[in-house]
Amino acid sequence: MRTARWLTVRVAAHAATLTVLSAVIFWATEVLPGDAVGVLSGQDATEAERASVREALGLDRPPLQRYGAWVVDALHGDLGTSLISGRDVGEIVGDRLGTSLAVLVPAALLALLLAGALGTAAGLRPGGWLDRVLSGVTLGLVGTPDFLVATALLAAFTVGWPVLPAVALVPAGQTLWQHPDLVVLPALALALGAFGATMRLLRAEVGQVVASPYAELARLNGVRGAAYLRLVVTNAAAPAVHAFALMTAGLLGGAIVVETLFNVPGLGQELTTAVAYRDVPLVQALGLTLGAATLAVLLVGDLVTRALTPPSRSTREHP
Amino acid sequence: MTARRVAALVPAVLVLVVALAGPWAAPGSPTSPVGGPFAPADAQHVLGTDVLGRDVLARVLVGGRTLVLQAVAATVLGSVVGLVVGTWAGATHRTRVAQVVLRVVDAVAALPALLLLLLLAAGAPGSDVAVVVAITCVSVPFSVRVVRERTAALAATDHVLAALARGDTWWERLRCDVAPGLAPVAVAEAGLRFVAATQLAATAGFLGLGAPAPAAGWGRMVRENSTGLALNPWPVVVPALLLIALAVGVAALLDHASGPAVDADRTGLRA
Repeated sequence: MRTARWLTVRVAAHAATLTVLSAVIFWATEVLPGDAVGVLSGQDATEAERASVREALGLDRPPLQRYGAWVVDALHGDLGTSLISGRDVGEIVGDRLGTSLAVLVPAALLALLLAGALGTAAGLRPGGWLDRVLSGVTLGLVGTPDFLVATALLAAFTVGWPVLPAVALVPAGQTLWQHPDLVVLPALALALGAFGATMRLLRAEVGQVVASPYAELARLNGVRGAAYLRLVVTNAAAPAVHAFALMTAGLLGGAIVVETLFNVPGLGQELTTAVAYRDVPLVQALGLTLGAATLAVLLVGDLVTRALTPPSRSTREHP
Repeated sequence: MTARRVAALVPAVLVLVVALAGPWAAPGSPTSPVGGPFAPADAQHVLGTDVLGRDVLARVLVGGRTLVLQAVAATVLGSVVGLVVGTWAGATHRTRVAQVVLRVVDAVAALPALLLLLLLAAGAPGSDVAVVVAITCVSVPFSVRVVRERTAALAATDHVLAALARGDTWWERLRCDVAPGLAPVAVAEAGLRFVAATQLAATAGFLGLGAPAPAAGWGRMVRENSTGLALNPWPVVVPALLLIALAVGVAALLDHASGPAVDADRTGLRA
């Protein structure tokens, strides 16, 4: 019963966030100076031409009314048509989402593996040589913007060791899922850019468990090897899941850069192109999709964290 | 000051000097071609030429100022908002209103930074100011969180409670009892936000937002010239190294200066 109530509150909070985001998206794309009229009528259109375009698009109505119409249409699954290609926006978003997932899923798994294994190894012996090396490497990685990590990988594999295709050119009629070799570099770039911060967090959590009285008691009682590892990992799991959720949500942002650089035809690349061409309906739909996906990932993370947290603690936190 | 702190400080300060004073020292026009594309380095053009045959040294020297100024403006703006909202939320007795404000702040923090950056850039194309506003929006939640937590801890201390019992005004309590404890944390958190802001500003340039081409920018240079890495690597490598040196230098400096007071990893502040 308590879980149901907690879940309702969480879902309501996320729905509220999404509503705020939709307002921001609408305001940024239709109310700010660079609106669709400027794009469609061209740079040197006369005031009369601009007015007729504005009327044709229904932009002469008050913003609040247009926002309402847009939200109602979006809730009915009608996201409008692209100003540039004339295709149905919902269709484009569906296509791009599939491609993005083909890169995001391997990237998330790889980052999870790297952060989990290295973070646990470093946290088990704080101050050891592995801990010091990893601390230096991840400080460098965290200090390096994602686009530099991706460019460095691109350079290494195009100039230094050309074994993998640098640009994801998918043959017509096929999906990226059928070409694992095209996924390797973008996924690697995303994972390398994302795992550093999570690994440092995990190392701190594991280090805390290792320093706790119950872990010391276990060590003094001769608990070793797999049993000791299980004790440490299970106790550090709840905060770790939260960190992983944050990391996965962060991957969606990193995908904007990586997809653009490697020419992966996913949501992120489509968004940068749509922004460059000022394709307003497409920008709105892609913004909403990315925002909703982020919130969904965080919600799942919250759920798993709650399931892993002992009930006594969660009742104290959520009275 | 230890040797390690000096080692971290020197590159960061050097990069800042190059970025801010560079435009005065540029050896020629950063936008007019002086040779063929991707010509290797020679005596006349120390770093060679870029994709359109422009002098790389001139572009590197000119390309940092906007980025650093954007980061500074976003950091200062963020600090002002963060300090006002954060101290209010930490010290107020209206805990319910404060909770609502914090929820909104968390909601903004949950969204990908680049999404907000792209949306605002879509509304104001080619504007460097839009980039500053976007960076401020995505970094304010971090500031509010940190300042609020510190203020709430300080507001519960005995000396603040004593000041309250003594009948000091809220301004006296804030200035004499809370501010001294808050200052080091606020400075460290501003430093972290500055690092994140430089990275976001560079990423904005990389994605082609802000002032349009032919303007020089370190992020934009990496993007423009990545195709010619085999011919002349300098137009990619030099801006990249400058960005990394700045970020790692400032981060390492803060690491030693503030210790665990503000932990960037824990709060998830990343570009």
